Amino acid sequence: MTVIEVSNLTKKFGRFTAVDDVSFHVNSGEIFGLLGENGAGKTTTIEMLEGFQRPDGGSIKVLDHNPQHAPREWRDRIGLVLQESEFDPLHSVRETLQLFASFFSHPRDVDETLDMVGLADKANERVGRLSGGQKRRVDVALGIVGRPQLLFLDEPTTGFDPVARREFWQVIEGLRDSGTSMVLTTHYMEEAERLCDRLAIMSKGQIVAEGTSAALISAFGATTVRFELPYDVDLSALCTLAGAPFVLRDNIVTALLGDELESVLLRLLKWTKATGTVLHRLEVVRPTLNDVFLGATRGDE
Amino acid sequence: MRFVRLSLSLAMYNLRAYLRSARTVALGVIMPVGLLVILSWVFAHQGTIAAAAGYPISAIAFYAGGLTSYGLMLGTFTGVMVAVVSAREAGWLKRFRASPMPPGSYLSGQIVFNVLISMGLVIVMMAIASLVYGLHLRFISLVAMFCYTMLGVFCFTAVALAITRLVTTPEMGSSVGPFVTITLSFTSGVFLPPDLMPHWLVSFSNYLPLEPLAQSMQTALSVSSGTGIMFRPFVVLGIWGIVAFVVARWTFTWQPLRR
Repeated sequence: MTVIEVSNLTKKFGRFTAVDDVSFHVNSGEIFGLLGENGAGKTTTIEMLEGFQRPDGGSIKVLDHNPQHAPREWRDRIGLVLQESEFDPLHSVRETLQLFASFFSHPRDVDETLDMVGLADKANERVGRLSGGQKRRVDVALGIVGRPQLLFLDEPTTGFDPVARREFWQVIEGLRDSGTSMVLTTHYMEEAERLCDRLAIMSKGQIVAEGTSAALISAFGATTVRFELPYDVDLSALCTLAGAPFVLRDNIVTALLGDELESVLLRLLKWTKATGTVLHRLEVVRPTLNDVFLGATRGDE
Repeated sequence: MRFVRLSLSLAMYNLRAYLRSARTVALGVIMPVGLLVILSWVFAHQGTIAAAAGYPISAIAFYAGGLTSYGLMLGTFTGVMVAVVSAREAGWLKRFRASPMPPGSYLSGQIVFNVLISMGLVIVMMAIASLVYGLHLRFISLVAMFCYTMLGVFCFTAVALAITRLVTTPEMGSSVGPFVTITLSFTSGVFLPPDLMPHWLVSFSNYLPLEPLAQSMQTALSVSSGTGIMFRPFVVLGIWGIVAFVVARWTFTWQPLRR
């Protein structure tokens, strides 16, 4: 079952095409990540899903409705965590949440929600006295207080310290375990890798890669092999015998390898055994989502 | 039913913030009360003032009525503008829009809240005028004042909403609001008797919202028989309010203007 279906979505601002023929779907109960540099079209895409922007082409279905024509009750089933927001500083955290909870037909208990985001001890504090990280948690609390079936999180952990980020991830994982579907945009690859069941990388308004993070890494990521250039060995001879495009920088030999990794390593190690050469500081480094991201978004530059 | 409940909870939310903010209370109550004290003292020797109605009324009726309308406009016009613009720029309106809250309940919440604080202002002003300055206050005058208050809140809320698209920051709202209110107060027979003003300016002000409101409040406090209810303010403020709501309907945005 899908909660979001997007096909051939396009949005233009004047001559600039912010979102260019984008298609994807989000399954019920999964966390779908939308990655990309600033200006890649993530926020515009999310805003079209939320019904704030009118698409110029293509179709969107979010929880079986076109967001542009969805009834008010549809809003009962979605939640938003915005990129940044300020609150009326004169109200307490609980009062702020109570107002918002009153809009929904089946809200979560306010204190239970505060407990979930780790603000239980700040319930009576004025919002204006909270730290930046605590305000972002109020943001998250407002997003989930309506007990949404689908939650949009637009760069939710920007400005969090590492501890707060880790705690936040636990909140998100808890929500997923209780069956909430989520769409998440983020700058943090570690976050995407940990939280997202599937993700799409956007660049210049288009989706340039899509899949699980493991699939993306094996499809797009190259493994790095590097070692110190042994004394008395010629680089070009090394390339020939190992069959790899080694380059030399600061006396370190490096190559990015895909499928040919094993055969290259095999030839290299046979040669070292036969000649008694020692490869100092030999490393084989697995690609990360970050490498995939950089590779995919750099694309045609 | 749900609409009414949400409107009231939004109004109470606003009211709570209002009562917690010394600055807004000062702006909303102390300014008109202070001006009432100062201006009635300055003009006390005049006894009567030639109000726009064409007949002389007592200085205290003139200032109690005029300054109540001034306080109402200052509070509602500035207050709605600042509240809406700051909520919009903070992403708060976007959140509201994304929730199942009916959009109209935000508006009615603002109106209910402003009616409440304006009623509070009327009560304070009338209490001071009658207890300190001996204004003879009839029950029917008080009823008329409350009717005009609701009319004024409706009109100034609409006008404020209609221009929020042009107001990019709350700071801009909190300077534009008092500036417009004070300028209009000079031409509308609030601070100074209208016969001190050029005739054309007074005639022009007749078609702006503050003058009819001020004059009707001054009249309500000075007539000794009958209701003193005038129809002109309902026509002028009604048209301003309805036109402004139509404009607001087209121009209003829930999304922050600056990114």
